[in-house]
Amino acid sequence: MTGKKVLVVDDEIHIVHVVAIKLRNNGYEVISAQDGTEAFELAVSQKPDIIVTDYQMPTMNGIELVGKLRQNAQTNKTPVIMLTARSFVIEDDQQQQLGISEVLSKPFSPKELLRSIEDILYAKAVAD
Amino acid sequence: MRLERSFYCVVAAFAALTLVYCALGFWAERDGVFVPAASVFCGAAAVGVIWLGWSFVRAGGEITSIATQLNCDQTHQIKPCRSAWLKVLTEALNNRLSDETSAQLKEQLKQLQIQNKLLSAQKTHIDQVIYSIRDAIIVVDEFDKVLLANEAAGRLFGFDFATAANKPVSELVEGAKPEFVDFLRQSRTSRAPGSRKEIDFDDAEGPRVFDCRVSCVCDDGGRVCAVVAVLHDITREKEIAQMKNDFVSHVSHELKTPLASIMAYSEMLTDGEANDEQTRNEFYSVIRTQAQRLNRLIEDILNIARIESGLVKVEKQPVSLAILMEEQLQMIRSFAQEKDIRICSEKPIVHDCVLVDKDMVSQVIVNLLSNAVKYTKPGGTVHVFTEVDEISKKVTVKVVDTGVGIPADELEHVFDKFYRVGANKPQAKGTGLGLSLVKQIVEKVHGGNVFVQSKVGAGSTFGFELGLATEVVTAKS
Repeated sequence: MTGKKVLVVDDEIHIVHVVAIKLRNNGYEVISAQDGTEAFELAVSQKPDIIVTDYQMPTMNGIELVGKLRQNAQTNKTPVIMLTARSFVIEDDQQQQLGISEVLSKPFSPKELLRSIEDILYAKAVAD
Repeated sequence: MRLERSFYCVVAAFAALTLVYCALGFWAERDGVFVPAASVFCGAAAVGVIWLGWSFVRAGGEITSIATQLNCDQTHQIKPCRSAWLKVLTEALNNRLSDETSAQLKEQLKQLQIQNKLLSAQKTHIDQVIYSIRDAIIVVDEFDKVLLANEAAGRLFGFDFATAANKPVSELVEGAKPEFVDFLRQSRTSRAPGSRKEIDFDDAEGPRVFDCRVSCVCDDGGRVCAVVAVLHDITREKEIAQMKNDFVSHVSHELKTPLASIMAYSEMLTDGEANDEQTRNEFYSVIRTQAQRLNRLIEDILNIARIESGLVKVEKQPVSLAILMEEQLQMIRSFAQEKDIRICSEKPIVHDCVLVDKDMVSQVIVNLLSNAVKYTKPGGTVHVFTEVDEISKKVTVKVVDTGVGIPADELEHVFDKFYRVGANKPQAKGTGLGLSLVKQIVEKVHGGNVFVQSKVGAGSTFGFELGLATEVVTAKS
């Protein structure tokens, strides 16, 4: 899935940085944001193929961001992976309703995140 | 009776004379008139003796009857006798029995009255105890009529507890809490020895949660004769449990955040994803700083936990706040200079001695100063004031910065654990525990007050107030 664009959103700059390095090393194009508002604007303007977002962020958290993305025609089908350090934030039905493809707990493995991104993009390509 | 006794004597004497006459007549003359006369006298005498004997036998039987009656029951009157002289005995005995019975009954009545008074006093005492209990108590019978309700129950459900007895419980509480009445009925029907249910109330005192425990009282035949309900306010316990859950959730999140960076960067290094020396050094640096952040976080959490639980050892001594302030200012000046921030301070002209734990208050000053420098942009200033009020015997420390400021709706939360002002997060890193620790040390350990004033874009004033000590510490020159 090289050449695909990934939007990485997290208020922790180190997390954004390490994920960006991992994805770029594997051929992905990476854009990033540190809060939900900035992320939504980038999602609409840049149209990433997949979004990796943290749950807990200032001004707009991950759930609110996804809710807003699903209301926008240009982003309502964009797959989303949620990262969270909270032990339990999203119900299964809520995850399905919002179209969140996967929830990964922090601390997470960059390798596993890459694998998840690849699986989701592959499945989306097959479905399309 | 005298007449009867006299009659018995006459008969006995006649019988005796007849025997003597007959004996003399037979010995003196065997024929003529004497023999028929003697026979008549003998017959009459015999009849008299027989009748006398029968009278004595009868009397003996009546005496035996009297004895038997006395033996069986000493409270009932003895039946009257036919013998006149026994009638006297019977009357005497009956009079005596009446007096004794009356005395016994009077004594028993007196004992019963004393016991009744004691029982009434005990019942009143028990009622007072039940009425004074803070938990709401309602007892109903097998027909759901109130046997007892205390004042707390009346207040909770909105009825007059003094007039609640014998009224159907549904009439008193169903309007307020129908589920309570259903719960009572279910418990009675199921005859469960103990049932429990949480019931929510939302009234003039606000939303509350009560733990309702119901138990059934059964008679000897196993039939439910009463149902006892006790409602205990667990609102505070629920809040504390929720706070604990929230705290654990917060701590978990805050600890996992730096850990996520440490593990991600470690994996990248292990997998050879850092392609050059510069990138590797950058990764090492991140791992180190995040580990330090984790360590600070753990220390802050432990400090707060120790202070809250009272386990921390406090060593108070007379200390000049101005001197303490100056010591910490020396340490922060280099950090401030790196950011081109000017630090100003003024020593008070009057003594500002306080009785405090020096290390703890130093920590307070460090936290306030470092926050002021962290959230002030380069070129700004941080001004420190120490003011003494001799009249109210208080000293106030203020740290005034020209930093980013705090939105008004977030001011009340800045001293909460893990709280960080959202808009200011990009400005600087923090655990969200520094100000919480300041509040704990100043208020819980030293009995002082913390305060904050702020305006977005203009800066913030953080400070605390402590009582003056009686001893004086001379400032170092």
